[in-house]
Amino acid sequence: MEEKLTLFERIQKLDRRWVYIVVALAIIIPLMLPYNSDNVTSPPTENVYQMIDSFAGREDRAILMSFYHDASTMSELYPMQVAIIRHCFERNVKVFFLSFLPQGAPIIDMAINTVKEEYPHIKSGTDYCNFGYIPASLIMATVIGMGDNIATAVPTDAEGRKVENLPIMKGITNYTEMNLVIEFSGSVAGGYWLAYARPKFGTNIAVGVTAVMAADEYPYLQTGQFIGMLAGLKGAAEYEKLVDVFAAYREPGQPLIPYVDASGKKHVPGRPFSEDLLEKSDIQDLIKITTQTEAKFTSAEFESFVTTQSLTDQAKIRQAKTESDGKILIDVSKLKEDDFESGTWSALNRMTRNTPYKFKVARIGMNAQSVAHMMIIAFILIGNIGYFIQRARTGKK
Amino acid sequence: MKKTIPLLVVILGGFIWLAWVFVPHRLLQDVFYYDFYLPWARAMAPFGMLLGVMSLSMMHYGKIRRKAPKWQYSFFFFAGFIATSLAGFIGGTQKGGLYMWLFENLQMPMSSTMFSLLAFYMASAAYKAFRARSAEATVLLVAAIIVMLAQVPLGVKISRHLPDISQWILDVPNLASKRGIMLGVGLGSVATTLKILLGIERSYLGGD
Amino acid sequence: MTFELFSNLVGAFFTLCIFSFLYKDNPLYQMSEQLLVGISLGYSLVLVYERTFIPFFVQPIFLKHEWILIIPSIIGMFYLLRFSRKLSWLSRYPIAFSMMGVGASVALAMHNSILVQMRQAMVPLESVNLALIFIGTIAVLLYFFFSKAHTGVYGKFVDIGKWFMMVGFGASFGLTVMARISLLIGRIQFLVNDVFMAIKQAWF
Repeated sequence: MEEKLTLFERIQKLDRRWVYIVVALAIIIPLMLPYNSDNVTSPPTENVYQMIDSFAGREDRAILMSFYHDASTMSELYPMQVAIIRHCFERNVKVFFLSFLPQGAPIIDMAINTVKEEYPHIKSGTDYCNFGYIPASLIMATVIGMGDNIATAVPTDAEGRKVENLPIMKGITNYTEMNLVIEFSGSVAGGYWLAYARPKFGTNIAVGVTAVMAADEYPYLQTGQFIGMLAGLKGAAEYEKLVDVFAAYREPGQPLIPYVDASGKKHVPGRPFSEDLLEKSDIQDLIKITTQTEAKFTSAEFESFVTTQSLTDQAKIRQAKTESDGKILIDVSKLKEDDFESGTWSALNRMTRNTPYKFKVARIGMNAQSVAHMMIIAFILIGNIGYFIQRARTGKK
Repeated sequence: MKKTIPLLVVILGGFIWLAWVFVPHRLLQDVFYYDFYLPWARAMAPFGMLLGVMSLSMMHYGKIRRKAPKWQYSFFFFAGFIATSLAGFIGGTQKGGLYMWLFENLQMPMSSTMFSLLAFYMASAAYKAFRARSAEATVLLVAAIIVMLAQVPLGVKISRHLPDISQWILDVPNLASKRGIMLGVGLGSVATTLKILLGIERSYLGGD
Repeated sequence: MTFELFSNLVGAFFTLCIFSFLYKDNPLYQMSEQLLVGISLGYSLVLVYERTFIPFFVQPIFLKHEWILIIPSIIGMFYLLRFSRKLSWLSRYPIAFSMMGVGASVALAMHNSILVQMRQAMVPLESVNLALIFIGTIAVLLYFFFSKAHTGVYGKFVDIGKWFMMVGFGASFGLTVMARISLLIGRIQFLVNDVFMAIKQAWF
């Protein structure tokens, strides 16, 4: 009895630097050894996804992303921004960027360049437009001015081009078309848009906030002042999952990038949001965090995939296939990129359902978060058990 | 006298702004706002920044001169400030230049790291300070633990209902308490701004 | 050693300097702290010069000859007189000019923080959740109403507000823990992936 109590006392008096080491290890180890996990999506995130998806392929709709934070909150907000930009590039949604803080402008550039690397067909001025840094003294003027005419409120973009001449502005005049503003902030999120843009012009506002502020924004969610919210790293992980399951999903044989067919109709790849699909267990294959090198097909899917490639590549693919469990498998790690045309190689890699590292950063982070949360809960419980035992002991005395 | 004119400016200007919110007349919306207030506010804005620069520089210069404790580190402040300013003024603020390199590879990592130190302090506090001393504290800790578990993928494996319980906690009691607090804060801030508008509250003008 | 790897190593060095504070306050941490303040200030100064000073002071006055703007510039310069003991009363003028906006915020804060929130709280109590939200909001508001003593039945009702707030703060605390750890995860991801893995790739 004596020894057990002194053990608790010793644990209570533990030097805090040992606690720091445990915290550091609890985070480093899951980051170095990724494992697959599932983040359950919540309605605030799904609402943001659905609203952006409803603008897919439309000339007369756009979203505006406002980066109202600096580098200190990037760990939580940057993965969200990358996920939303990826969604827009996949589903052909026009996107505008601006920042009212000087430190936000480089973050916009970093985010755009990170995502653009994987989407060579995206062009600045046509698919997206970066307004850059707008000084704080102009916040009210810009927010209100965009309700009348965006090109007048923001005359030039970050690259110095006149906004009204850009191809992206075809069909976009003011908030009626640029109907969703998403503000990312570590403190007051959506303040100016809520005060000026929404009452006067009826703009939809969504926010991406650090988890600290998320609890405080729930009243605005319920009133409908915010149509949705991405809360911290979890919100980013949920959004990444939604993008992987819906926007970035390609049926075997489906073209990878948006195109206009012979009759002038625009086709946007990916599939629309559906609650039922999220409940199914086979979407787990789409959201794996570990590196995937095997493309799995049923025989029907294999045929529709292979017939869309060139004849020489078709022969090579048929040669490389193996069969297992009634499914046809192609292991990409056993093939060489130079043997195939670039279009075929990208399509093959797409079919492995492997997500590039930069688009699963939040989900890997959430693994580390799981371990860290368990550790903090363990700390709270151990601390409290020791406290109660000590109290009982002094009570007995 | 020294306080009266600024006070009158705030009171008169404040009422004109109040009218601006409600009155769509051209005189207020275009002439007052776009032709008068905006150019004037923009012309005044850069000097506020100079105030910060002067204040910090004077403080560090004083530290070096007095040889106050840790005065040697003030040299690093001046080094960082002068290097970045010169790199910006001479080299330019475009992406590849020294100015942006200093910002992206020194300022950004350092400021993120400053914030991330909080995680360690939080873990140490969880261990040493978070005690369920009363019923209220216990309720707080239980709610916190449920929300913490539900945020991570592991939570769904512990119990299928955990995400729903956590969402209910966020949607109902959390919302009620935050809304009550928000209404209280809103009423307080409206009262304070009204007092400033009517000239009752003068602390922003500083001492004599 | 590519330039990118070198830049990441520099970032990693300063990251570790700041982390060293966890062990003990040391000269490397002090140096990085002062460097951080200096670089932040230098960055903001140049950006304010380029985006505010040139387009809104130099260009309108000297290029477009809007001489009237000399008046606000002189008033703006009064900010700096804060340091002079005799003339610091002049610094009240630019402050007063920027405080004018308070008139608009009376109306707008009333709309956003109070009226809209009140309207949404006054919905028909169709479900248990809405009834709970209604009771909770009123109880929390009354908890902070100190003109009436919290005794008897009134006191018990107001106590409900206290429990609602405890749950609300518990939720905030849980989310705050998540936020703080996310910030640390971001930094460690940078150290593990952009630095450690890159070194491994470059040299092994």
